[in-house]
Amino acid sequence: MSNPTRFSNFRTACFFPLLLFALGCGGRAESSGPQAAAPPDLNGVWSAPFTPDLSKALGRQPPFTPYGAARFAKEDEIDDPLTKCLPIGPARGIQAGIMPFQVVQTPAVFTILFENQHTFRIIHTDGRRHPKDLDPTWFGDSVGHWEGDTLVVDTVGIDDRTWLDTAGHEHSDQLHLVERFQKVDNNNIKWTVTFEDPKFFTEPWSVTLPIARQNTEIMSYSCEENEKDRAHLRRTKK
Amino acid sequence: MRTPSSLVRPLALAALALALTAAPRPILAHHGFSVEFDKESPITLTGAVTKFEFMNPHIYFYVDVKGKEGKVVNWAFEGGPPNVIYRQGWRKDTLKPGDVVTVKGFRAKDGTHLAACATVKLPDGREVSAGSGAVAAGANGAGANSGKY
Repeated sequence: MSNPTRFSNFRTACFFPLLLFALGCGGRAESSGPQAAAPPDLNGVWSAPFTPDLSKALGRQPPFTPYGAARFAKEDEIDDPLTKCLPIGPARGIQAGIMPFQVVQTPAVFTILFENQHTFRIIHTDGRRHPKDLDPTWFGDSVGHWEGDTLVVDTVGIDDRTWLDTAGHEHSDQLHLVERFQKVDNNNIKWTVTFEDPKFFTEPWSVTLPIARQNTEIMSYSCEENEKDRAHLRRTKK
Repeated sequence: MRTPSSLVRPLALAALALALTAAPRPILAHHGFSVEFDKESPITLTGAVTKFEFMNPHIYFYVDVKGKEGKVVNWAFEGGPPNVIYRQGWRKDTLKPGDVVTVKGFRAKDGTHLAACATVKLPDGREVSAGSGAVAAGANGAGANSGKY
């Protein structure tokens, strides 16, 4: 797959520091060149509280469009993509609670390895932008940058078959996620996720959850290995 | 590398004791509780374990339960994901064929001999949670029927 933005990003990556250096030299004679503070080290295993219903964390239902409200009213847990062992999706993976995730961080990528089905997110932190003509995928396309102690992640191109939570909050392929991973201290992250989707919601809405470091390692979890439940499932509505 | 069994046993006992404090609510992995089981149909059954599957996405174990007329029915019990309950002290040999156990749980809505396992009373008398209630019980927004994520 070609990436037309890659070269222009490379140029930006090369010239932007030079520009900063030139600007910095004029102002501060003693400076030997501006050194951006190293971003926080968030490597490790983490977990946020299990949040099966985002409306409870929000304190109300999200600001549905009429279409979004109608979809939510008819949705049933039996249709949850997880019931079919499909991937959990980018934000719901963070909210998974009892199955933690591992952060593997380098200067160029911030990787989230989910215990849930051993899926993962790659968040590019090398300055690139989202590709044009993005085809939706289960975890979308994520780019991030550091604002002090906070990693700001922008995600688009998320397959509309994922759900936002167990309660059946859905989204379209126009879902735009903005996440802020703010380091509180070595063992705590404040995670704020903003959901924007003009088909389902009249305005963006946000939820904040605490993420805590876990004294464990991520383990295996393969949903199809011994799946026996689907034959027994029954609709919970109507 | 094998940890000396003299160390493993106290650790396992401690972990299982911790699991005891968990809410006896089945917490499931890839489907919600209410989409498969009926919280209005609690059940307590005693019998001998015939098989234990410490596998994804849920542990399953099977128990021969003798009915009123002496007829034996093999019940299936579902617990939490193995990775989750491993952290609570469960291991692949926590249940062995022949173990006589008493299981508390909730029947499947389809009326088959299947139930979600809340707790198991082991042959040594300890009653342990088979889900992950300890985590979910304190979780933000976890509803009574929301045993999935």
